[in-house]
Amino acid sequence: MKRFTRIMLAGAMLALVSGCANTSLTSDIDPSADIKSLQTFYVAKLPSDERGIDVMIENELNAIGKYATSGSDPKPSSPVDAVVTYEDKWMWDITMYMIELEIDLRDPETNYEFATGRSYRTSLARKKPEEMVTEVLSKIFAGEISGEME
Amino acid sequence: MRIFRSFGMLLLIFLVTGCAVGNQYDYGTTNVSLPLAGDGELGVGVLERRSYVLDGDKDANFVGLQRGGFANPFDVSTASGNPLVDDMSTVLQNALRNSGYTVSSLEFSWENPSAIASALAKTGKAKNIVLVVSEWKTDVYMNMTLHYDLTLHVLSKDGTKLAENRAQGSEELSGAGFESQNSRLAADAFETKVGRMFNNPEIQSALQN
Repeated sequence: MKRFTRIMLAGAMLALVSGCANTSLTSDIDPSADIKSLQTFYVAKLPSDERGIDVMIENELNAIGKYATSGSDPKPSSPVDAVVTYEDKWMWDITMYMIELEIDLRDPETNYEFATGRSYRTSLARKKPEEMVTEVLSKIFAGEISGEME
Repeated sequence: MRIFRSFGMLLLIFLVTGCAVGNQYDYGTTNVSLPLAGDGELGVGVLERRSYVLDGDKDANFVGLQRGGFANPFDVSTASGNPLVDDMSTVLQNALRNSGYTVSSLEFSWENPSAIASALAKTGKAKNIVLVVSEWKTDVYMNMTLHYDLTLHVLSKDGTKLAENRAQGSEELSGAGFESQNSRLAADAFETKVGRMFNNPEIQSALQN
């Protein structure tokens, strides 16, 4: 009985700890979308974002040779190739960390989401928000950015 | 020693059930933006064809599985309590209205697919959109996986097929989160899959002509 209890507890602890190091990097791109031809972007700031994720995305897009701006308005003031929306989720484990970041590229006219990318990292696999921005955009642009790939 | 056993039992119960029991996903209030704009009249309906719902193994509001600590599955249902296809139909109708169309709901019983013809005749619209759901469920353990098989039909008033687009597969959406996060992911996936199906030359041509 003692041995069984120990094995069960060890299994339970293993299950709990392994859940702390889970990662997932995914994307879904419309096959008809010519992602690499997109040059101008407007990053629409998420109203609840107080960490400046919009600026991180804008900076990363500019760093790879695109032209990006960001702002609080949901629509850009001048024509762009794509509007960028995002959603960030945070968790606490000793310190706050970003557990998930989703970035979407949308048609400026119809708001149709023609590309989406998502990074999920639990506590033991956490990265800085800037690095998660880079890896999600890398996944969307499929190697155009020299970031980490899955 | 007794306290360790009690703790062990509690831990076991938590692992087996955890946050896995009674999860609900909100499909009905999702905002979907479609890659089209128009101003015509459309009949719109969603048809349930998931085998496990048709044979009564699962309720019509079943949307997937949430697994406990030992991968033991618990059913996830719609937050509205309505059949999944009803929530999808509401979302699709709202999306098409936002795209400029005047939309009428197609009402048909999933027990009798032949009723589509009479629903089309009753609504009387020259163009009709029918989304057939042969599979749609998420499976959540360490990660969240979506299994889907959707067919989008554009039909004339007499039931003639004007265009068709099918999407099927199984894919990982993301890591598993809490209920609200998983709910958002599932609804986002519906937006993505439906949007891709509408962004098809045949579908768009059939809707415009």
